[in-house]
Amino acid sequence: MHEMSLVQGLLSQLHELAREHNKTKVITVCMDIGPLSGVVIDSFQFGFDILSAEDPLTRSASLVIESTPATYLCCGCGKRIEEELKPEACPACSETLLSPEGGDDIILRQVQME
Amino acid sequence: MCDSCGCDLTPDHSHDSKVIDVHQSLLAANTAMAEKNRVHIEKMGAVAINMISSPGSGKTTLLEKTIEAMKDRLRIGVIEGDIETDRDAARIRAKGVPVIQLTTGGACHLDAAQIHKGLHLLEKEPGGDQLDLLVIENVGNLVCPATFDLGEHHRVVLVSVPEGPDKPAKYPKAFISSQVFIISKTDLLPYFDFPVEEAKAEALQLNPNLLVMDLSATSGEGFEQWLHYLTTICQK
Repeated sequence: MHEMSLVQGLLSQLHELAREHNKTKVITVCMDIGPLSGVVIDSFQFGFDILSAEDPLTRSASLVIESTPATYLCCGCGKRIEEELKPEACPACSETLLSPEGGDDIILRQVQME
Repeated sequence: MCDSCGCDLTPDHSHDSKVIDVHQSLLAANTAMAEKNRVHIEKMGAVAINMISSPGSGKTTLLEKTIEAMKDRLRIGVIEGDIETDRDAARIRAKGVPVIQLTTGGACHLDAAQIHKGLHLLEKEPGGDQLDLLVIENVGNLVCPATFDLGEHHRVVLVSVPEGPDKPAKYPKAFISSQVFIISKTDLLPYFDFPVEEAKAEALQLNPNLLVMDLSATSGEGFEQWLHYLTTICQK
């Protein structure tokens, strides 16, 4: 359940942003979370719901999570395949050894505050 | 997309508010600290490995046997991570190398800030400031530790024979982010259904760059390959 500590990091980043921009209330938080990030999106949402409710800054904030695709490099023909779920085989040469690249982002993209 | 301000939100929100583009990883603070740790470890003269596995896969036993075999050739230091107790550190201390125990008090993984603290503590131990190899034994957990860079140079993931061969498929992140995959406790192969070659192939499907080895710290079978690997990374 490391999602909880990631949410704690998110909340402290939101406090910094609120101070910096002189705002008191977070309305929406937009995150990009990759399929290879090791983060369970439901658990992240659950952690956010619990921790944000305890904090006046984030009490009424909603969280929008988008899953970004990962890239898989085919070890046979070198083709790069962009998919959210790992393909069984390379569509070009049927090689099954596909090396993942990226897809491990846990990014705070955008925050709306007032 | 909202036409007024270009944000990604529904069009009906108020424009007294401000939309801030951040585009920063939640792990940015951890990653920055991990980079500092890497520099710190290199100043100590060491190469660091981060060992990740479920509880009971044999990380500590592997480490004990490794120290016995290598301590005349390599200066080894250890940072032990556990939720509670300093039992693992006591086992390693008995082997005569500098070690410190980090207890997370409930957290399921080590992070770079804890390792930063650990490095300073380790330097105060006799012989702890000049090392060839620093081993960080993470909290027993195959999921959460995989997300946090600690400042290590190499990541080693272990699965023991009694755990079964399906761990790479079920817990992919640890295998995708590691350089080495060890199948441990191979002395128990006669008693468990663990098709070694299938497990290796499955891990390589996830990460074709993995160096895979199978060994038993108890019987010593396959141990040479591990010691050879450690010798090689410490020469760099």
